[in-house]
Formats: sequence, structure tokens, C-alpha cells
Amino acid sequence: MKLPATSSSKAPVKPTADNLVPIRLDIETEGQRYKDAFTWNPSDPDSEVVVFAKRTVRDLKLPPQFITQIAQSIQTQLTEFRSYEGQDMYTAEKIVPIKLDLRVNHTLIKDHFLWDLNNYESDPEEFARTFCNDMGIEDPEVGPAVAFAIREQLYEIAIQSVASAREIKISKKGRRGAEHAISSKGGGNALDLMKLFRYNSSVVRKRKEWYVYEPIVDILSNEEVDALEAREDRNTR
Amino acid sequence: MEMPQYDPNTKPEFELYTIPSHSSWFRWDDIHETERTALKEFFDGSSISRTPKIYKEYRDFMINKYREEPSRRLTFTQVRKSLVGDVSLLHKVFRFLDEWGLINFGAVSRGDDSDNRDSSLGDTELKNQVKIEEGAPNGVRVVALPNSLKPISVPNSGADGSGNGKVAVAGETGVKLPPLASYSDVFGDLVKLKGFKCGSCGEQCNSGCYEYSKGSFVICEKCFKNGNYGEDKSKDDFRFSDLGGNSLTHGATWTEAETLLLLESVMRHGDNWELVAQNVPTKSKLDCISKLIELPFGEFMMGSAHEMNSCPTGSLNSLKEGQSASSENQNDVKMEDQVHDQMNESKQNGDAATEEPPAKRKRIAPLSDGGSTLIKQVAHISTMVGPHVTAAAAEAAVAALCNESSCPREIFDGDEDYLANGLSSPTMVSDPERALQVDASKMEENQSETQDASSEKNDVPLNLRIRTATATALGAAAANAKLLADQEDREIEHLVAIIIETQMKKLHSKINYFDDLELIMEKEYNEMMQLKECLVEERIDVLERALKTGVSKWRS
Repeated sequence: MKLPATSSSKAPVKPTADNLVPIRLDIETEGQRYKDAFTWNPSDPDSEVVVFAKRTVRDLKLPPQFITQIAQSIQTQLTEFRSYEGQDMYTAEKIVPIKLDLRVNHTLIKDHFLWDLNNYESDPEEFARTFCNDMGIEDPEVGPAVAFAIREQLYEIAIQSVASAREIKISKKGRRGAEHAISSKGGGNALDLMKLFRYNSSVVRKRKEWYVYEPIVDILSNEEVDALEAREDRNTR
Repeated sequence: MEMPQYDPNTKPEFELYTIPSHSSWFRWDDIHETERTALKEFFDGSSISRTPKIYKEYRDFMINKYREEPSRRLTFTQVRKSLVGDVSLLHKVFRFLDEWGLINFGAVSRGDDSDNRDSSLGDTELKNQVKIEEGAPNGVRVVALPNSLKPISVPNSGADGSGNGKVAVAGETGVKLPPLASYSDVFGDLVKLKGFKCGSCGEQCNSGCYEYSKGSFVICEKCFKNGNYGEDKSKDDFRFSDLGGNSLTHGATWTEAETLLLLESVMRHGDNWELVAQNVPTKSKLDCISKLIELPFGEFMMGSAHEMNSCPTGSLNSLKEGQSASSENQNDVKMEDQVHDQMNESKQNGDAATEEPPAKRKRIAPLSDGGSTLIKQVAHISTMVGPHVTAAAAEAAVAALCNESSCPREIFDGDEDYLANGLSSPTMVSDPERALQVDASKMEENQSETQDASSEKNDVPLNLRIRTATATALGAAAANAKLLADQEDREIEHLVAIIIETQMKKLHSKINYFDDLELIMEKEYNEMMQLKECLVEERIDVLERALKTGVSKWRS
């Protein structure tokens, strides 16, 4: 179990046990396309970004134009992340549904579960590890991809809530926006805790609902992988 | 329910479940202090989603789910789909129950699961093997040096004699050493102890097997060709997996030749893994990298690939050689003794260093007691002489070992610095130790000579392990000696400091004495001056009176 990171005097800033930024890269130059997704530690010095870009280009034997583009992209996303840091993140609990729908090499994963955005001990990497162990996944790239997907979604949700909180504060200046914000935030992504955890209802789901929250892991054959890739490319272009 | 069976003959109405005794506080109807402390989130009223009632539901559900099938290991993923709540929190509860043995206590451990789970098994496989806990002491890293070209296999208490010469050695000298822990750690997971066993004919599939894609069924190549697929399985469902290919631990049978190739190519190409992979034809890039990292000195190779270009690649061939334990034992003893001789001689001669090469090969009787082991001899010797000498002797022995093959050289590189530091500080301090410096340089010369002589003597292959054990013992003796040397140094320093202090005090008191004297002298001087003045005044008085009373004649 990881210890929660030390918090500054402001409200705690990290949504999970490690403060990691999900970075997605999709760069195309001179007919070569580089797609990647990973997590970055924002407390690393920024000089590391260039070092990382150089090393990646060298390891993957990409043309050198990629270095600046990669570095820039990472920097932009980092700066964006930092602009959200330090915003009020409430310590009130916020349970959001997370859906996984990703393909990593030959493995297709679909899953659906609940995550508490404000649980600072939550650890996507640990969840991914347990997931891979329990489901007997051998491909070592699946774990990090799952963790990344979770982080990305959490990040999106956090950004949305911060943005909406800002709007609310602006619109309801003078009034104590905080309390209002909590109840109105509940509408968007978070599930209504009151409904879920009512005193006379059980936290054990009905059997017929189990399949909804059950993970599905498929191993695809080569042809299926190719077909899916072709479809994805068509969609993104 | 954990209820005792009252009558063993009647079929019990309740199932008997075992939980460890340290969890005997558990009660279905209640929540114990242990649970409250470990999972405080549920009990501090911080949220309506975390109440004791909810905790109890989670817990009861998980335990009941496990008990539906006690022999099967319950996974977190199976329970989380049925429970509403934050998955991290659920995982925490799950882990709590797992640690206390309330679930999965009787379940098979993961290590015995099907072979497909190899990637997660790296640790558990090792745990199932016997491991000696006392590792090699600091500064000595153990590397296997099998004396055959067969793949390295984890030694199986002497029964498996193919991969290493342990059994052979035991025959020769009667010395059998337990496997050094670090050896197993490094090489244990390179070889799958259980290979794939064919599901239909029950034989071992060594080269390649066909895996059933929808389950965990494995058949060997022969059965696949014969059409012997097992019930309800058709040809298309099988996927070929080459044992050398797929899994992460790679059944990586890195033979000696391949390791050698790998090291050579790394030395030549450094970080360029493409070229390295090309040079080692049967292994992919990933394999090379992981193998190199696993080798104890692998990282040094990567870093010092360029520095070590001077080191002849031919020396790598010595990795293939082995030498016998017996001759090595004697060799070590002889070296020790030669060095000891040198020490003795030089000690007697003071600063005069003798130029002659080590002529004596035989030993003075009390030292080379054939019955006692090498370790005892080393201990004996080290008690006989002073710590500096022992340290020097140990270093010489280690250096000699290193000179014979480059492999231990890398291991001892770290050790040597350590020893060298230990030696250099005593050699700064006093006169007798200047002799030692001379001796140290003497020893360098001697090493080349002993090495020549000893290489002649080595005709039988040796198990490096025994030598490293020797080196270990010597290293320990060296460490001991170093400690003693340090201690003496400190004492010397301390005493010298005391001497200096007392001298200073003496000087101080002398100065004070003289200061006092000065004062006294001044005072006396002042008194004298006053007296003088008084006298002068009196004389004037007398003269005045004399003049007044009209003394006519002036008597001067």
C-alpha cells in the first residue's frame, strides 16, 4: 500500500497515490507515424523531457525531426496538467465509473468498474497488476496500458470537474460555491452516493448485473488484429 | 464455520474451513478491533459509502465466495464484479482478508498453476526451490563457471551432475559445498525446472509444443502430427509455441558459447543492441539485454565496454576453462605460504627487500596440515601474523586468482579497491610499513611468477565455485585484518595526540613560569629604582645640612 503523497498547504492535489501525468503522443512526419501512451512524473525536471525524446528516437530509429516534436508535445501536455494542479480538489468522495475498452497487441480488454476519484491511496498501476495476474495475461505491455487508460479517464474527469467548478464559482460569486458545487457535480460523472449506499440497500449486486461489471479479455488472432488496426486508422484519418 | 467436529463418524452438517490461528479473532457476527484498525476508512464516518455495515457485507461476501470452492484461489477480479464500491477500497479489503488467511488459505498457491503463467512466476518458482539464506559476504559476487557446454541448470542437491562439476569435484576432494545463494538467484529462473509436459502422451516436450488456445492444454509436436489432440479439440485451436520463443523467462538456455558471444559483441558494440543481436544468432535483442543484466557483472560490461577494449578478448576464453579444486587448494595454500614467507623474510630484514623469486613450494610442517581445510589454514595463518600482513597476503591471493581469469577480476575489482584502501592507509603510517610497501610491489612481481608456475600445475579443470569460496574466506580474513589495522591506526593516532598535548602543556607552564619571573624581576627593578632615589635624596639632605651648619670645608 502506497503512502499518500505529502500534501502542500493547499488542498491535496494528487488524485492518486503517485502523481503521474498520462501523456499521449501521436506524431506524423515524413510519412512515419509515432503513436505512444505512457505516464510521466511531473516532478521530474523539464530537462528530462528532451533527454527522453532523444533516447526514444534513438531506440526506435526514428528520423531526428521527431525529437523536437515529441519534446514539444510532452511539454504542452505537462504545462496543461500543471495549470490544473493546485485547483481545489475536494476531499469529498467521488465515485466515477471507469470503462476500459482497449486493444494492446493481441489482447482486447473490456471492463467496467467504479473508482473513487478522491481516494489518494488508489493506484492504477496496482490495479493493472492485479488485473493481469488474475486474468493470466502474459503480454507485459497490457498492464501499463490498462493503468494508462485509467489515468487518462481520471484525468479527464478531474479536468472537467475543475472546469465546471470554475464556472460555478464565476457564476455564483458571493455565494458559497463549494457546497453547491458538490451537489451539482454529482450530476455529471459521479454516481450519487446517496442512491448507491442507502441504508436498506445492499452493496452486493444482483447476479444478473454481474456480467456488466465483469472484465472481458480476448486474445485475437493476427487477422483480427489487422482488421481492427485498419478500422482504427480509417477512423482517425 | 470453524466448528469442531464432535463426532468424526457422522457426516458433519457444517463444512470445516481452516483459517490460521492468528486469525482466530474472526467472528461472523461481529467486527473485531483488528478490522477496525486496519480498515479505518469504514469506521470513521467520513462517508456514507463506508460504514461498518457495508464493510461487513463486503467481507462476508468475499469469504463466502471463497468458501464455495475452498481449493480454488479466489481472485480479486472475481469478487469486484459483484460488489458496488471503489475498486481500490475493495482491493484493500480483499488484501486484508488474504493476509489474515480468511480467504485463500487452503487454496493452491499460484506457483503450481499451469505453465502458462510463467511470467508471473519468476518469484514463486524460486521460493519453491531450496535456497540457502546466507549469501556471499559483501564485495564478493558469485558467478557460475560451469565446466561444460551444457546449459546451466540449478543444482539439485548433487543429483544433477550435467551442468556443473560439483559431483565430479566431490569425487576428487571430498569437499562438497552448498550452492551459494546468489548463484541460484542469478541462474535459477533461466531454466524452467518443469518443462512442458504433453497433455496426451505425458512426455516432456522439449523443443516445441502446441498450446491449446482456449485453455491450458499442451501437447507435444509428435502428438500434434499424429492427430492426437485430445478430446473435443480440433487442429485449428492449437497454437505452436517454441520453447525457445515465447514466454518471458524464456527457458533461456543460454549456453556457454552464446554467453561468450554475447559478451564479446557487447564489448565491441557497446550499446548497439541490433548488432549485438545479430552476432548472437539464436537470441533476440530482448533476450540479450535481459541476459546481460542478469549476469552479475553485466552492467559493468555495458559501462566499461569501451574502457576494457584493452583487455584482450582472448581472456574471455578463459570463461570456458575450469580448473580442479584440489590443485587450486594447494595452489592457494602455496601462494599464501609464499607470501607469508616473503613477509617473514622482509620483516626480519627490515627495509632490505629480497629480490629472489619465491623458491619454496613446500611448507613448514605446522602450517600445511593436510588434514585441515583451507579455511582453517587461512585462519591459522591470519592469527599468526599481524593484521597488515594478513591483509597483504589476502590481497595477493585474490590478485592471483584474478590474474588467472578475467572473470573473477571483474568481481574483485570492487573488492580490490576496498582492499587497496585498507592497505594504503596503514602503509602511510610508520616505518615497518614502508617495508610492506616494498613487499606489496614485490608481490606484484611474484604474482606473475606464481601465475606462470601455477598455470603449469593446472592441468585438471577446476570448479570456480570452490575458488570463489576460498576467495570469500580470504576476503573475510582481509576484512578482519583491515578492521584490526584500522583499530591500531586509531590507537596510534590517539596516543600521538596525547603526547602532543602533554608537550604543549609543558610548554605552556614553562611560559607561565617565565612570565611570573618577569613580573617579579620588574617589581624588584622598580624597588631598586626607588631605593636609589631615596638614597639620592638622603645624600642631598645631608649635604644641605652640612652647608647650612657652615661646614667650611667642602668635602666631596
